[in-house]
Amino acid sequence: MDAEPAAPLAPELIARFAAIVGERNCISRPDQLRTYECDALTSFRAQPGLVVLPATRAEVVEVVRLAYREGLPIVPRGSGTGLSGGAMPVPGCLVLGLSRMKRIIEIDFANQWMRVEPGVINLEISRRLAPDGYYYAPDPSSQQVCTIGGNVAENSGGAHCLKYGFTTNHVLGATVVLPDGELVELGGPVADPPGYDLRGALVGSEGTLGVVVEVVLRILRRPEATRTFFATFPSTDEAGHAVSLIIAAGIVPAAIEMMDRLAIVAIKAATGVDWPDVGAALLMDVDGPIAEVEHTAAEANRLALAAGALEIRVPRDDAERDTMWRGRKSAFAAVGRISPSYVVQDGVIPRSEIAQVLRAIEALATASGLRIANVFHAGDGNLHPLVLYDAAVPGQEALAEHTAGEILKLCVRSGGSITGEHGVGADKAIYMNDMFSDADLATMNLVRCAFDPEVRMNPGKVFPTPRLCGDRPGVYVAHATERDGVAGRG
Amino acid sequence: MTPRAASVAVRDSDVIAGVRPLTAFAPASVDECGEVMAQAARERFRLGFVGGGTALGLGARPDALDAVVRTERLARILEYAPADMVIVAEAGVTLAALQREVAQHGQRLAIDPPWPERATIGGLIATGGFGPLRQRYGGIRDLIIGVTLVRADGEIARGGGKVVKNVAGFDLPKVLCGSLGTLGLIAAAAFRLHPRPEVTTTVVVHERTAEAVIALLAAARAAQLEPAAAVALRTGARFELGVRFEGFDRGVAHQVARFGELVAASGAATDLAGGDAFWRRHDAIRAAAPLRIRVAALPTALPQVAALVAQLGDFAWYASLGVGFVCGAGDAGAIPMARAALVAAGGSLVIEAAAGSAPGWGRGSIDPWGPPPAGFAIMQQLKQRFDPERRMNPGRFVGGL
Repeated sequence: MDAEPAAPLAPELIARFAAIVGERNCISRPDQLRTYECDALTSFRAQPGLVVLPATRAEVVEVVRLAYREGLPIVPRGSGTGLSGGAMPVPGCLVLGLSRMKRIIEIDFANQWMRVEPGVINLEISRRLAPDGYYYAPDPSSQQVCTIGGNVAENSGGAHCLKYGFTTNHVLGATVVLPDGELVELGGPVADPPGYDLRGALVGSEGTLGVVVEVVLRILRRPEATRTFFATFPSTDEAGHAVSLIIAAGIVPAAIEMMDRLAIVAIKAATGVDWPDVGAALLMDVDGPIAEVEHTAAEANRLALAAGALEIRVPRDDAERDTMWRGRKSAFAAVGRISPSYVVQDGVIPRSEIAQVLRAIEALATASGLRIANVFHAGDGNLHPLVLYDAAVPGQEALAEHTAGEILKLCVRSGGSITGEHGVGADKAIYMNDMFSDADLATMNLVRCAFDPEVRMNPGKVFPTPRLCGDRPGVYVAHATERDGVAGRG
Repeated sequence: MTPRAASVAVRDSDVIAGVRPLTAFAPASVDECGEVMAQAARERFRLGFVGGGTALGLGARPDALDAVVRTERLARILEYAPADMVIVAEAGVTLAALQREVAQHGQRLAIDPPWPERATIGGLIATGGFGPLRQRYGGIRDLIIGVTLVRADGEIARGGGKVVKNVAGFDLPKVLCGSLGTLGLIAAAAFRLHPRPEVTTTVVVHERTAEAVIALLAAARAAQLEPAAAVALRTGARFELGVRFEGFDRGVAHQVARFGELVAASGAATDLAGGDAFWRRHDAIRAAAPLRIRVAALPTALPQVAALVAQLGDFAWYASLGVGFVCGAGDAGAIPMARAALVAAGGSLVIEAAAGSAPGWGRGSIDPWGPPPAGFAIMQQLKQRFDPERRMNPGRFVGGL
């Protein structure tokens, strides 16, 4: 799905951007622009007119002002790891790459917050906090490379958000450059600023409301103990039942991840973990104060066995635990070992529907003749079916895309969502109508229009059809009769 | 005059921040809310919204109110799936009614604001209501997963969904949290639930200075204890600290014992029998009507905050959140100075309830919200987009929104 190229930008305009960020950080040669044609969703591509890589927020402000004056759409970008095409350019647009802005500005352990620039890598934050015994909770599987700015745009999740919540629960504030270049603080380290929760609107808005240049994050004290276990099951039915029993027992695990047979095969091939060939496996963490954890870990083990677990393995040490988790977190890439290509899907279902929906997915696999691997966050029902295909076989890519789309419709029918953490982006905008009515989407658009009335920021994302904002609405004016006291109101 | 759907008689409890409406509606379903709001739009009624009436003193005096829409008949739980730990309910369901329903399955909505028997979920969303548990579970913004909004023009719009994890579309539920009925009528909402803890124990420590409160909680954090709530109540010149632990029996016992060791090491004694009395005193402060202000600052600013509000009344401080309540009949003349100091430090002072009975605290003399916050221009735009005729609680919110 390659977009038609736009006319190149005028050299003098490029020079003006270069004057702001420096020649080296202003990319306009077509061969160099190719790197920025897509994010991790490589099937959607468009060539930007220009890529600029500012180093300071003052540079961002100047770049955005100039783009605004010139009517150039802006697409913000972090590391480009997004899986929904959220950072895919609009043909001829300005891509604003924030990866050079990677300072950790301030850490306040006593009050449990820190201020960082958007280009800081997610894992780098926890590494920086580790010597003091603190960490940043949201841990998307791409955390070794994804930026915090991208996390804010996508409201990223991760395995451990079952207990700890998503990016939106950990962002206390943000400094944002609005589409016209205005700089504004939304929220901050102190709780409860009066007024609307604009930072709540910002997180997860997929770069459509403004450019984040600083983020204030909540940081957490590391839990005293973490107990991990890996349990194998004959099939996903028993594994799903184990998840239900554990949750029903009042345990909130830090993470419960499920992998089906095909995912296990792929992970073994890619990472060399010595997992057995079984129908399904759960990887689970419980964490907290030690006595609490000893109790919940023992109870969860017991319930997994009661649900039909074949075997339960407990890592001997941190190294073995890390290996288990690396296996899980590398699952998407691992599938590349068993298939030339695959579509990564991201959908959510009510937890209680897991077994039923997995069977329906299996039926889709059978009907399409494609293999589907399942690896997902079982605790919150966030599925990641991977639809395997071979692009060399005519029609198979389209069939895989179609099958992945059918899975989303299953999710919506079961009362779930078309995306749990990867975002809508360019990829899923067409499915928004399956989940939301026109009135719902028009109402969301009111939020966008408050920030970006001219739709300059990341146009074409999230909404299924282009939406304009119309004129800025006027303030209510009373009828002349009413003003004069001739007519009342009521 | 067209017949009015669901029209009911106005009563004293419909008075919002001192303004009595001319008429009232009580729709009985989300669809009826749409009809009432569409009709109000045709008649260009300026509207307020009334749930359990526990926060009607919040905010500035509305410019005018032609009518209120009451949510008292929106009292149905629409969906509850215990296995998914998700509940969907109409806005007029009281928190206590919702808690009774989910308690049957060992679950709870993890918020604990005052007056649960009266406070409705719609009102709690609109006002951002909370209690001590917010330290562990976040506020209502962190627990809401979906919302049904009836817009000023009568359109019914939904945002979010009914699964815990969902990033499809903009986060309308969060935008509505704390919006005080200025963007439309919240008609229904979905929440994530948590398991009810097996055991809850509160450790009380008496006669602590502000500095000692901070030091004790820092020590608890260093020891990797995880209290569900930590509240400091001022008694005279000193504080009484209540730290609540929740969870499974063994885990709680262990945490309580370890916290006791930290308290002893600081030279103080623990009171394990004083929990109930402590929370009763806390409730008396946070639920005090008619006078209450809310202050926010960094948690380590407690000594400064305590000094600033010393003249204003009793003081309850959510020590890990950095939010506190002050109530009493103190000297309102101290408010502007306290507010200026808090705002200068990045915090705020909001007058949450005030009746005409208290000299100097009355409306008009002091803005309940304080100066317009950062991002106010966007807030104005948001209000204009949702309510272009400025009919939803006009003038009641921050900066006259």
